[in-house]
Amino acid sequence: MSIIDLTSMGEPQSDLKKEINDRLTKLQDEISEYCFQCAKCTSGCEAHKLLELEPHKIVALLKRGLINELVNADVIWTCMSCQKCRERCPQRVAPVEVLYALKNMAVISGKQIPGKYTGMLQSILSVGLIQDVQETTTRSNKTVKRDDLGLPALSKPTDVAKFQAGLMKIAMEKV
Amino acid sequence: MRRIGVFVCHCGINIAQNVDVEALTEYASHLDDVVVAKHYKYMCSDVGATLIKDAIKEFKLDAMVIASCSPRMHEHTFRRVASDGGVNPYQVECANIREQCSWAHSDKGQATEKAKALVRSAVAKARFLEPLTPSMVKVVPEALVIGGGIAGIQSALDLANDGFKVHLVERDPSIGGHMSQLDKTFPTLDCSSCILTPKMMEVANHENIELLSYSEVVGIEGSVGNFTVKIRKKPRYVDIDKCTGCGDCASACRLKDRITSEFDQGMGKRGAAYMPFPQAVPLKYVIDDKKCLFLTKGKCGDEPLCKKACIQGAVNFDQKEEILERNVGAIIVATGYDLLDPTEVYEYGYDVSPDVITTLEMERLISSSGPTKGEILRPSTQQKPKSVTFILCVGSRDETECTWCCRIGCMTALKQVYLLKEKLGEDAEINVCYNDLRSFGKGYEEFYRKVRGLHTNMFRGSPSEVRPMKDALRIDIFDTTTSKLFEIKTDMIVLVPAMIPRADTTEVSRLLHLTLSGDGFFLEAHPKLRPVDTFVNGIFIAGCCQGPKDIQDTVSQASGAASRAATILSQEELEIDPIIAVVDEDICSGCGICVSVCPYNAIERIEEDVNGKKVIHAKINEGLCQGCGTCVSACPSSAIQQRGFKDTQLLPMIDEIT
Amino acid sequence: MPTEQYAYELSLRETLPLLGIELVDVAGFSCCGEPMKSVNQLMTVYLSARNIAIAEQQQLDIYAPCAMCHLALSECKNLLESNPAMKERVNGMLAAEGLTYTGSHAVVHTVDLLYDHVGIETIRQHVKKPLNGLKIAAHYGCHILRPSELGRPDDSENPQKIEGIIKTLGAEPVQYPRKLDCCGAPLLANLPDSALTKTGQKLQAIQEQGIQAMVDVCPWCHKMFDSRQTKAGEIVAAKLDVPVLYLTQLLGIALGIPKEKLGLDLNLSPIDKLNLGEGT
Repeated sequence: MSIIDLTSMGEPQSDLKKEINDRLTKLQDEISEYCFQCAKCTSGCEAHKLLELEPHKIVALLKRGLINELVNADVIWTCMSCQKCRERCPQRVAPVEVLYALKNMAVISGKQIPGKYTGMLQSILSVGLIQDVQETTTRSNKTVKRDDLGLPALSKPTDVAKFQAGLMKIAMEKV
Repeated sequence: MRRIGVFVCHCGINIAQNVDVEALTEYASHLDDVVVAKHYKYMCSDVGATLIKDAIKEFKLDAMVIASCSPRMHEHTFRRVASDGGVNPYQVECANIREQCSWAHSDKGQATEKAKALVRSAVAKARFLEPLTPSMVKVVPEALVIGGGIAGIQSALDLANDGFKVHLVERDPSIGGHMSQLDKTFPTLDCSSCILTPKMMEVANHENIELLSYSEVVGIEGSVGNFTVKIRKKPRYVDIDKCTGCGDCASACRLKDRITSEFDQGMGKRGAAYMPFPQAVPLKYVIDDKKCLFLTKGKCGDEPLCKKACIQGAVNFDQKEEILERNVGAIIVATGYDLLDPTEVYEYGYDVSPDVITTLEMERLISSSGPTKGEILRPSTQQKPKSVTFILCVGSRDETECTWCCRIGCMTALKQVYLLKEKLGEDAEINVCYNDLRSFGKGYEEFYRKVRGLHTNMFRGSPSEVRPMKDALRIDIFDTTTSKLFEIKTDMIVLVPAMIPRADTTEVSRLLHLTLSGDGFFLEAHPKLRPVDTFVNGIFIAGCCQGPKDIQDTVSQASGAASRAATILSQEELEIDPIIAVVDEDICSGCGICVSVCPYNAIERIEEDVNGKKVIHAKINEGLCQGCGTCVSACPSSAIQQRGFKDTQLLPMIDEIT
Repeated sequence: MPTEQYAYELSLRETLPLLGIELVDVAGFSCCGEPMKSVNQLMTVYLSARNIAIAEQQQLDIYAPCAMCHLALSECKNLLESNPAMKERVNGMLAAEGLTYTGSHAVVHTVDLLYDHVGIETIRQHVKKPLNGLKIAAHYGCHILRPSELGRPDDSENPQKIEGIIKTLGAEPVQYPRKLDCCGAPLLANLPDSALTKTGQKLQAIQEQGIQAMVDVCPWCHKMFDSRQTKAGEIVAAKLDVPVLYLTQLLGIALGIPKEKLGLDLNLSPIDKLNLGEGT
């Protein structure tokens, strides 16, 4: 009838949980319900040792339907996507994918995208690449250009307008 | 003049680590009457046996002392070696220098001295050991199975199919036990009745099985190979030869639907005249003599309606109990289990709210032949619940209640979650509060995974209490996976209670002289190597009466017990251990104290004519004597002695040590 | 590859043709989308599908030297193969640019390209200047090893292909406990100090074991271990002094290619210590 998290006085958001589970099923054909909290993921998590990310707890909270709390948390952005959690899980749960789903949801809900993501996104939208780098530095601190090294021009979308149109459409789609 | 051989075992390092076995052997070789002393790493092995037999031949030994592990382990082994080597097997004395010496002490010097004393003492006894010959007893090729649940049914069928006659005694009016109360069984979700009923029918129709339902064992005498059993057949007040199972008596009964049904675990009602359940075997009605108006008050209206309704004339209030006597060679105890009354764990509200029920009660609700015809209805409102919460380990793994794990709780809860999801629909909220989820058996893990995939809300933790509110039950539970405290408002709570020994276990243990383990279940002879044997030769245990287990382990054990029983029953004669009491009639004054203390009724006070004089003395029935030694210690004149433990043998042992 | 890691590009363009691989530059590629996965997963799928479709149009397999790109492309391929509904949806959107994804061609990375397609034997035949038993640690990174259910260039728990190549080049591969540790690059976007801590910790461990150099096969990993080594050292408060090269640079040296052509002056880590390519 009702389950309330007394820490936050919140009820589970089962519709959001369903949305995430639907996405997970579509994108990887596996759901997180099978997790039995062995915590092998957290034990090997590259981000856990530095940044307190606990993949098993993220999955537990997802199972509990406490999506808002997760979407608003900073810790979901600490994942290094090393894929170890998914590789070693005995129940084929992929906490890394759960985190992607949560991050995507955070972006849609208007939460600020941390750090450089905004810049990268804008670059993709305008040029098709996350950065349009034309030069680099040598060990002796000289700047040298891509052209100077004899490298061909960077491959980029040729018809930028068409590319952008396609991209905008995708940005509006739900998984 | 005795020629004693002393054989010291190293037992690997079990003895040798703390006892200087070489020094001990050297010491023993110098004792009086010891003609040879040897030591070896594993005296119980083939090599050890050969060593002993060679020594017997070479040194013409007539008695042996084995300094090794507890006689409980290998006394029989060494007796056999002696016998093979030509020495009477009862002229072997074991000195326990392992459990009682090397395993108990750490100072090698002191332990070795103690071992020397133990060996010295054993040699002292060996000087006075007498050759003994076991007597033979004829084996009655029939078995008694106490309890008609799935364990008893399986054992009975196995033995009956082996060709032995089986007397199956069941306390309730029908066989089937708790399994007949279940709807489905995990992990296959087989319909319980569908797999049980054929076996029940087989029992009823088997030419080798005498089914004594509504009966109980009231006395047992004798020993392995030849037990005499007294069985009280309770009166049904229904003539089973005439009863067709039509049900007219039950429909007519004045108390119809007024008595709490035990089969439905209190969730349904019956009358005084009733059929235990629709698939009962035997399919005969019975009248509850504790509730029936006619039987308790002597009057049921103008006349008992059941009697009037029965056109076969099967109702017979003049029936009396019968005491039957049967002779059997082996006994299997399969009396089953009970569930802890959750009132013991008061905080979970079992006594307070009708919506807090046990798994067995829920099973009756789920069952299509149950009180609600398989509809899940909230007891307080008789409406479908929107939310059901399971609490596992109620009274289990609890130092204040039952310290043990009930073994079936986790799987039972998962099974019911699955069935409830089916019956109540995907949207029903089902919560499970657990400590550890034990899905250990074949196919169990797969089942657990399936239930996790059904979006069951699993909370890892135990609620502290259940608080009934106006229209719901509330529990607060800390879920350790998220480190959060949740408040759950739910419509029904299912408690998974501990599995406990049946209340009649003490009575049965007294009748059969069986030992109980610390948890109150019957004690097996060895937890690993003799799980269905008891310490009473010829009596075996199977199923939950030995300890909590699920149906497949119960059936395995039942077949195991049947096989063990068959080992006895398939022999024409059995050896009786000669280490029993013997009366020196010259000393015995006929006081009769021994008769009163013997737990096996093996002693009689008899009158005999000796040279014209009337002499009264005790006489031991060697077939019944179990060699417990109670009479020996009770006898004021030491007229009764125990062969193999006579005063003449024990006192020198004591002298050597003191 | 839109990065400043030109040394990778230079070295692979020099070495692979010598081993029989024809590299074709295709116009119109975009970002694979992997860095955007946290923002919009569907965009990642779309961008990767788009790149694969462009290559397919030219009947070409895609060689993704970057491990992140390789993962994005492989995941996309796997998804569209196993989910026809998704494939239809994506193709519907690609149609606007006249593209179709069919899944007809493969996606490879440097490691499987060298080990499985070129083969150790071919490499051995072309080695002109064996590397004199140089003690080298192989850094695989995360994305070419996991998740193994997709099929990755090497085994996820005990990858040995790079070591196999190192041996063929005459150097001595050394196993080390932190072999499967991540370089930290994905956190550069929002938690750069944490990212560099990971980098520094791994370099420290390698240094302490007395290993002479490290090779990597991904521009992100190399960026961390080579280009940001000094910063990483500051963050973990250690003096880091580990020469770090691309596998393709090492390959080039062993094949006898002049070091100017392999971009060795673009490595910011102290590779001069190794005296590579001397006496050409």
